[in-house]
Amino acid sequence: MIQYVNALLASEDPTVTHHWLLPETAEIIYGGLASVIVVGALIKFAGPAIKKSFSARTEKIQKELDDAAAAKVNADSDAKNIRAALGDIAGERSRMLAEADAQAAAVLTEGRTRIIAEVAELEAKAETDLSAARGRSSDELRAEISMLAALATPVVVEATLTDQTKNDLIEAFITSVGAAR
Amino acid sequence: MSSVKVEAYARALFEIAQAEGTLDRVEDELFRVARAFESNEQLRATLTDNTIPTERRQLVAEQLLGGKASDTTTQLVSLVVNSGQVRELPAIIDSLVKRASSEKQQEVAEIRSAIALSADQQTRLAAALAKVTGKPVNLKVVVDPSVLGGLVAVVGDEVIDDTVRTRLDQLKTRI
Repeated sequence: MIQYVNALLASEDPTVTHHWLLPETAEIIYGGLASVIVVGALIKFAGPAIKKSFSARTEKIQKELDDAAAAKVNADSDAKNIRAALGDIAGERSRMLAEADAQAAAVLTEGRTRIIAEVAELEAKAETDLSAARGRSSDELRAEISMLAALATPVVVEATLTDQTKNDLIEAFITSVGAAR
Repeated sequence: MSSVKVEAYARALFEIAQAEGTLDRVEDELFRVARAFESNEQLRATLTDNTIPTERRQLVAEQLLGGKASDTTTQLVSLVVNSGQVRELPAIIDSLVKRASSEKQQEVAEIRSAIALSADQQTRLAAALAKVTGKPVNLKVVVDPSVLGGLVAVVGDEVIDDTVRTRLDQLKTRI
């Protein structure tokens, strides 16, 4: 074969090509062989690595896809929970608002009742105090008048008791004693 | 001073006055002296003051009574002052008056009045009180301006009070 190739090469002028586009036949043969060898070598030696690399990449992508799917599921679950929680919060908010309203109404009612009672109590106490003050003033006035009367009466009586009056009183005494029994 | 001593002095004074024959007058004067002694604090303080010599106290009593009371009355009061029993003068005199009244079968009637009673009033009052008590009374009138008006009669345990002072006190209590 080699001899045939050498004979072929020797029979042709290396400086002249037989076609303006195509390489020489030998070049094609050698090139083809070389290419087959290289490709074969590549398939033999680099193929498994490449295949492994592709498999790893595929697995990685699959894993990322799975993770993404799981994340999506989780996200959907979280979203659902959040939506549920939002619903609960809204309900809780409504409940708390209702409760607060009820408490406020109760406090308002209780406060109003208490204030009305306190006002009534204050009015009653004020009325009692006024009555007591009126009574006290009246009592004090009566006591004052009594004291003045008690002080003034002897003075007035003494001033009006003439000897004639005293004599009349003696006569009245004698008459009343004489008339007794 | 015990009642026995008071009685002893009263009996002595009574017998002296009786012996003098002036019992009625002396008894009456002594009664007035006793009431004056009770009501006049200055007189009481002077006559009972032991820091003043007895002679001087006797002189005070004699000067006070001189010309206003009989000699017998003056001497009897002076006698009591001299004996150191002047604190018991009212009790002695009251006992004497009671004794004199008993002697005359009379009840002592102590009358307090703001003004003096006339003889006629005393007679009528004595008669009225005799009617009330059932026995003749020996009227002893004390002029006491504090009664203001009216009379208060004390006969034994009985008190007949119709004085202006008492009525004023009652009115004051009611007020």
